[in-house]
Amino acid sequence: MDKEIKKMLEVKNLHASVGDKEILKGLNLEVKAGEVHAIMGPNGSGKSTLSAVLAGREEYEVTEGEVSYLGKELLELNPEERSWEGIFLAFQYPVEIPGVSNINFLKTAINERQKYFGKDPVAAKEFLKMVKEKSALVELSDKLKNRSVNVGFSGGEKKRNEIFQMAMLEPKLSILDETDSGLDIDALRIVAHGVNTLKSKDNASIVITHYQRLLDYIVPDFVHVLYDGRIIKTGGKELALELEEKGYDWLTKENA
Amino acid sequence: MATLKENNLLNSLSQLGIGLGAKNQAFELLKGLEFPTRKTEDWKYTSVNKILKKNYVQVKEVESVDLSSELVPALEAHKVVLVNGMFSKELSDVNFPDSIILDTFPNALEEHLSLIHTSFNTIAQNRNEIFTAVNTSYFNEGVFVYVPKKVILDKPIHIIHVNTQNNVVSNVRFLIVAEPFSEVNIVQSFATKNAIDCLTNSVTEVFVKDNAKVVIDKIQSEEPGNNLICTVQAHQKDNSSFTVNTLTVSGDFVRNGVNVDVDGENCTSEMNGLYMQKGVQHVDNHTKVNHLKPNCTSFELYKGVLRDKATGVFNGKVIVEVDAQKIEAYQQNKNIILSREATMNAKPELEIYADDVKCSHGTTTGQFDEEAVFYLQARGISKDAAKNLLVEAFADEVLDKVKLEELRLWVKDKLD
Repeated sequence: MDKEIKKMLEVKNLHASVGDKEILKGLNLEVKAGEVHAIMGPNGSGKSTLSAVLAGREEYEVTEGEVSYLGKELLELNPEERSWEGIFLAFQYPVEIPGVSNINFLKTAINERQKYFGKDPVAAKEFLKMVKEKSALVELSDKLKNRSVNVGFSGGEKKRNEIFQMAMLEPKLSILDETDSGLDIDALRIVAHGVNTLKSKDNASIVITHYQRLLDYIVPDFVHVLYDGRIIKTGGKELALELEEKGYDWLTKENA
Repeated sequence: MATLKENNLLNSLSQLGIGLGAKNQAFELLKGLEFPTRKTEDWKYTSVNKILKKNYVQVKEVESVDLSSELVPALEAHKVVLVNGMFSKELSDVNFPDSIILDTFPNALEEHLSLIHTSFNTIAQNRNEIFTAVNTSYFNEGVFVYVPKKVILDKPIHIIHVNTQNNVVSNVRFLIVAEPFSEVNIVQSFATKNAIDCLTNSVTEVFVKDNAKVVIDKIQSEEPGNNLICTVQAHQKDNSSFTVNTLTVSGDFVRNGVNVDVDGENCTSEMNGLYMQKGVQHVDNHTKVNHLKPNCTSFELYKGVLRDKATGVFNGKVIVEVDAQKIEAYQQNKNIILSREATMNAKPELEIYADDVKCSHGTTTGQFDEEAVFYLQARGISKDAAKNLLVEAFADEVLDKVKLEELRLWVKDKLD
């Protein structure tokens, strides 16, 4: 039996800037299959920049370091290729796209991936079966599924839609960027239930959050504290509780 | 008079057919009019210099042409075809429903004078619009559609105009009269076939009587290097509904004028437009809704996508007269510019003299929503496919206004 756990993501000495401003200043992170990593940190520490760089947003320039994903140079891939290779970013602010239906856009996305891997498009029947099954997971109504992407959705519905899309695309590595922001407790539970159900030994998640609250529902294997563009402390799930109680000051002062 | 002698457009025209009173009157008016320059407010962003300088030929014989590219195969319609400004009996349908009158100009002016004399040339703006005066003075042929009281036409009438030789000038004239409680959908196609440097100058007068409903879908798909001026002048009475959808697929110079006098209560007027321009294409949409009576609603939605060095103009005027209370008028113009060299000039104008009205207008011009492009990419849709999807979604809002599904799909296909 092969006991070696698959290394999924390896970030080494990552530096990234927006314009003239350096935001990530030598970040290291390693994620293996089956793991859940939480990244916490005060505002402006670089949490969203990390997710943006991993997803391939053009405005962020990587000035140093490397990111290897399943043996590939991640930074060489454009955003759609990253998606096809199994990376999923749940947006902090999901974008509204009038006129593009939720379902058609997912079908296009899935079939473009099929094409990338030289496979036939997914049959309509199979696709609809998948839609039915995965939307039930996050209690997304038929009405919302057929509407324009995120148009007229409440904050909670938008986040549930993100997890629905994640379920449909079955990623290997999911990055949840402040998915808990703006969610009431019921929506939070639904979202967390979706994420937990999708969890397997073959995939991994990076959960970026401000608050410990989400981690009551999505229990991390590791908690990292990001501060001033670097990870300054790593611990188990108890670190999140400690941060909740003591704040970030005791850590940031050590690193000042 | 100096202008008239100096430009090639008028030099190439000669009055055909019978010495109609209307033609003679318009010709007299034409003498007193000047062609617009950039200083003319309504033509500020659209220069007609190039059009006036060209040498044109006026075709006097009907030509045969393969029309397959302009037909909408799936669309069941009564078909009337004009080639180079002349009615083509060969290409048009032979049988039209007995319930309506469909005839050609100038023939209709003799045959149906009693029906026509109260409408023909009564709302055309020969006094102020020089291209309308040119049309009235020189029109070769055209189509008269008369829908009697309570007749509801189940199939649309598809009027196709096509120029098939280089440098053709076609002045075509249309008159549509919808009597009370009648309904008709007219599709007007303007095309060219293996031709360049043509000018089509079309004037359509529309009378929408009490409780009548008229829809005009204009499909403009002339080849590059051709010029089209298309004027619709409409008059609405009580409880009527009038819609014009202007879909500009191609052609290098297109000027659309849609003018609606809403001269009745409880009317609905709708004007929609879509222009998707490439190359050096220029499309100018001018609309004018004149609310003369109370309790009416008008909607306007014009959307454009401009690529390469394309230029666009939108000018939408809404006038609400003193006695026209309880008017609702909504106007929107949205544009996506996909190239640094493309430009759009948009100008909404409201002139409101009544005090109890609800009017709104808005215009936006911008690039792609980059956030949306990235979102789609992040879900595995390539950048180009994402942009296509967004353009399609943008255009669909206007295309959805076209109720004839076969036509809508045909245009959509042409736009891809």
